[in-house]
Amino acid sequence: MTETQSFRDGLLAAVPTLRAFAVSLSKNADRADDLVQETLVKAWDKQASFQPGTNLKAWLFTILRNEFYSQMRKRRREVEDSDGAITARLSVHPAQDGSSDLNDFRKALELLPEDQREAIILIGASGFSYEEAAEICGCAVGTIKSRVSRARNRLQDILGISGEGDFGPDGVTAQITNTIVA
Amino acid sequence: MNHKNPGINRGHGRDISTTDPLGTNSEIGRKLKQYYDELVTPEIPDRFDNLLKELEKYEQPQTVTEE
Repeated sequence: MTETQSFRDGLLAAVPTLRAFAVSLSKNADRADDLVQETLVKAWDKQASFQPGTNLKAWLFTILRNEFYSQMRKRRREVEDSDGAITARLSVHPAQDGSSDLNDFRKALELLPEDQREAIILIGASGFSYEEAAEICGCAVGTIKSRVSRARNRLQDILGISGEGDFGPDGVTAQITNTIVA
Repeated sequence: MNHKNPGINRGHGRDISTTDPLGTNSEIGRKLKQYYDELVTPEIPDRFDNLLKELEKYEQPQTVTEE
């Protein structure tokens, strides 16, 4: 029972970060909370397959991500035509704080393809390692690296940020290549 | 070699210790964290607390029917 208790506490503690990830993926607060709910239910069902002591957060992110993509596939079939309209209407812009800078960033982020958006969020915001992100997304570490790199370049283009001298595209590519080879 | 060693993690012991193009020196990296931090609200809506209490009532984890 205590194990169940601590599992339950772990799930609850993960809710804020799961919600943030869900909003980043779905761009929609209501849908995000549905995703989190579904994730918690699934996690509960799969409790036996979770090894205590391993990374609960990464495990939950994996479930949430799978749920997101399976819902998205379902949704695409259901509302093929009106999907864009629905997304635009329900698009969430939480805590409008007058920082147009941040709003621009949010919009730019929404323009990224899903795979790039999730990669840059997992690495740059959620605090996962490339290895963990690869595990969550079910792909190779090198794939995550190239997605992050493309996402970053794309964001720079959209936002007109140039010449972040330290890591130009070439630098990033070189690092990735080196790491893959190494 | 006009870029600094990306392996150097400027404090905090974060996970991204290697090839960190999204570190604190990067404008994109900073904005990304700002954007995300705003999304991570500490309050947990009741619906999740209630959901877990509900799930916990079942000794055996069980499948919940889909909507």
